[in-house]
Amino acid sequence: MRGYLTIWFVMNILAGVVQVGYGQSRSCRAILTGRILGADNHEPLTGATVYIRELATGAVADSAGNFQVLSVCPGRYTIDFQFVGYKTIDQTIIVRNDSTLSLAPIALLPDSETLREVVVTEHRSEAQQLLQNQAALSGNALEATRGQSLGESLKALPGLYSIQTGPSISKPVIHGLYSNRILTLNNGVRQEDQQWGSEHAPQIDQFLAAQLTVIKGAASIKYGSDAIGGVILVEPKAMPTVPGLRSEVNLVGGTNGRQGTVSGLMEQAFTNKLAGLSWRLQGTLKRVGYAKTPNYYLENSSYLENSFAGTVKYTKQRIGAELFYSQFYTKVGLFRGAQVGSLADFYAAIARPEPLSQPGFSYDLGRPYQQVQHDLLKAKAFIRSERLGMLTLTVAHQQNVRREYDIQSFSRVTDPELYLKLVTQTADLIWEHQPIKTANGGQLSGSVGFNGITQGNVRRFLFLIPNYRNYGGGVYALERYAHDRWTLEGGIRYDYRWLRAYFLDETTKLTTEKTRDWSNVTGSLGTTYQLTSKLMLSGNVSTAWRAPTVSDLYSNGLHQSAVAYEQGNPDLNPEQAYNLNVSVEYSSDRLYVDMGIYNNWINNYIYLKPDSVPIIRQRGAFPAYTYNQVRATFRGLDATVRYKLTSQLTLTSKTSLLFAYDHTNRDYLVYIPANHTENGLRYDFEKPASRQGRITDVYLSVNHQYVARQNRVPMVTQREENGQIIFTGDFAPPPPAYSLIGAEVGFSCKVGSNPMNVILMGTNLLNQSYRDYLDRFRYFADEPGRNIMLKVKLPLVFARG
Amino acid sequence: MQLLKKALWMIVPVMLVASSCKKDEQNVDPTDDNEAITTATLTLTNKAVPTDIVTATIENLNTNANFTNATLNLKANTTYSGVVTLLDKTKTPALDATEEIKEKANEHLFVYTYTAATSDPSSLTVTITDKDSNPAPGPYPIGLTTEMKTGAAGSGKLKVVLRHQPNSKNGTATPGSSDLDTDFPVVIK
Repeated sequence: MRGYLTIWFVMNILAGVVQVGYGQSRSCRAILTGRILGADNHEPLTGATVYIRELATGAVADSAGNFQVLSVCPGRYTIDFQFVGYKTIDQTIIVRNDSTLSLAPIALLPDSETLREVVVTEHRSEAQQLLQNQAALSGNALEATRGQSLGESLKALPGLYSIQTGPSISKPVIHGLYSNRILTLNNGVRQEDQQWGSEHAPQIDQFLAAQLTVIKGAASIKYGSDAIGGVILVEPKAMPTVPGLRSEVNLVGGTNGRQGTVSGLMEQAFTNKLAGLSWRLQGTLKRVGYAKTPNYYLENSSYLENSFAGTVKYTKQRIGAELFYSQFYTKVGLFRGAQVGSLADFYAAIARPEPLSQPGFSYDLGRPYQQVQHDLLKAKAFIRSERLGMLTLTVAHQQNVRREYDIQSFSRVTDPELYLKLVTQTADLIWEHQPIKTANGGQLSGSVGFNGITQGNVRRFLFLIPNYRNYGGGVYALERYAHDRWTLEGGIRYDYRWLRAYFLDETTKLTTEKTRDWSNVTGSLGTTYQLTSKLMLSGNVSTAWRAPTVSDLYSNGLHQSAVAYEQGNPDLNPEQAYNLNVSVEYSSDRLYVDMGIYNNWINNYIYLKPDSVPIIRQRGAFPAYTYNQVRATFRGLDATVRYKLTSQLTLTSKTSLLFAYDHTNRDYLVYIPANHTENGLRYDFEKPASRQGRITDVYLSVNHQYVARQNRVPMVTQREENGQIIFTGDFAPPPPAYSLIGAEVGFSCKVGSNPMNVILMGTNLLNQSYRDYLDRFRYFADEPGRNIMLKVKLPLVFARG
Repeated sequence: MQLLKKALWMIVPVMLVASSCKKDEQNVDPTDDNEAITTATLTLTNKAVPTDIVTATIENLNTNANFTNATLNLKANTTYSGVVTLLDKTKTPALDATEEIKEKANEHLFVYTYTAATSDPSSLTVTITDKDSNPAPGPYPIGLTTEMKTGAAGSGKLKVVLRHQPNSKNGTATPGSSDLDTDFPVVIK
């Protein structure tokens, strides 16, 4: 294993406790209530826990045995009711849009074998604490995306898209913003994996996530500066609390690329003397061969991923600690038909309707390729008190080693062309105060926190970005006041960033350095108002800023895969964003509507401005770009509508519109997702009426996805210079609009006593040839054609209690 | 606020531990291109007068190319035998890329194109004289050695392009990508 990973886990703990407070998630407002009693004496079981598995959330019964879970989304859930010395009961419930769902009293049977200590469970989604425009992918919707990359699976949410580099590299785009304008929190740790590169996909195993939450719009207060576009939270399943050894196997097979993925998980919670201790191991292997477009294979578009993760957690009454380690390794082939030596080659390739080389299927993976390994070690500790609230300390160490190999012509060197090693340490200390009840019946809840980060980057071989050291620190306070139909939330944050880049003077062999620092204050203010039981209005104003990254400032080199010579601008100022979100949510028995509009003003928006004079190098001429700043706006609309045509047939429609504009140059911005809409019908089959039905939860859905042509693009012009045609704006006009048809069938069945979930789905069923504006390889080849995928999830329980 | 202060102080040791690590980033590696071509030289020998040798060299091709000694001064209506040499002087000792290309001749092709200056009568005809060992329908030309025939006097430029065509060489310039694409100024007297 990685010997150089050092554990530097310092536990500083203050007194404090919090009772778990369940914030409101915007789209989900059902309330679940009930009572837990002992079956032996019918006495209330004070402190018994209620845990909704799918939501990783729950509640604790009060002195009368009553419990209440707020903010539950409509859906089907499995709930565990547990109490020390009693046998755990699980119960399946269906939450509709009813505002309150009261369960029949639950009677737990005494368990003579075990008499355990109270295990305080701490389950909740991080984002629920924020009053911001958000969307989440969990449960069946997430299962349906298994086998896809993180970026690809997030496309299922309105307002999200992905910027691709062929079929193997996919980066999430939130409201038109991506790369460093988005923060990704992997299990609570800010992921640092050279995300400035538009062909650098997040190095996270999608199977780690039990829920993917996206906060859309500037969300800097809690998560740090940079989050101008939004935040992606990759939240793993809560650690087990029910004693026993369990495992889960996920298998995914796909026809296109003949992909195969195996992901396994094993976890255990202990009992008796070890009560409160739990562990989990998780691993994923993925192999994908050449992707096939309707008419040809994409040579060398194969890729593989190997990843594993392990967690150990211990909680005892008021304190708890968790250690998490994960490693993600990927080797990603880049489509060889997109490899061009110069601008002249590039134009020749664009002019070809199909790639020249069209080999048959293979799993071969040669140059050009990327090889990246990301290691993350995280330690977290918390302490809570009924008086002071909860204090959480998280420290993490990450190392990202990226090697990029280009096609080689004559040398027999085995070195990569680009090598970057980024080592990041982060520390976060958060204190959530105990909720305060106000005299008028309202409640105040909130937190203050500190985030610190330091990074060191080392490069070798070709120069693209320099070596650097980076320090950052921020403090914030976030407070929420809920009273009657109103909820108000305000936050303020101060950040400081320091960046020193190191350069080598090739003639004198002396190291020179450039240092810059920035600081800024950001704030946010949000509110929701429950107009009627069915209608809720919310609004949010927030500011965010992003210090220029080292690539914005100092990149200087030939970006071979982008056919561009990119030149940094050391005088850039931070980007400053002002974000406004307004949304309306209506939910009745049959109709659910969630519609939001947003406007994101960004001053000093950093972008690559094409230079008129191309750079001439050994391989010929390359278009040159310099980082520049403009005033830009990103405004749009996200809408989700669900309508129950009958009790079994549901119509779902998701639409995202986006208008981005560069006010300085009075032109459009490049690489902005086109407007798109997805409409589907889903039929849920009636439950077999106790006919020994082993197959349950059968559903069938079809959907139609329409992506419009992006007409708002910078003017594509061409002129001749020194006998060479020079393009500005873009190299080729955006591809036409396209429509895709997909279908999905899913069911659950019992294998022994274990429920198995099966999903069979097909994408691009009509095998359409199309190209997507946000795929950087759209100049060279079509997108993949039809793909049929089979996804099987089988949980296994080895030993209970 | 007292609590916050306390909390912040507790972070200090953590940050100190983190920042006391060895600073790898202060040792900066030089830029190193595996496939740099710094120097391209054309050596033309007059077939009739073997002592009449013309050379033209472009230096620093991988950065800001230097064309000081790049002009080919040729005689009109003369036949030359040409040899191209490519060097990578960023390596020590300098790497002779032409040797490597010779070994991988089955995937390389030099393309020579002469363009006379506007309304100039000059001409330069380049014929490749070497062949690779590609199987039928090969072998195909390589272009490391050539025969260059000048016509009328005048001036123009000779474009030299090295095409890298792994598994796709077919004798034309179309497949593959360019490893070298540069112009030698030509003066024919």
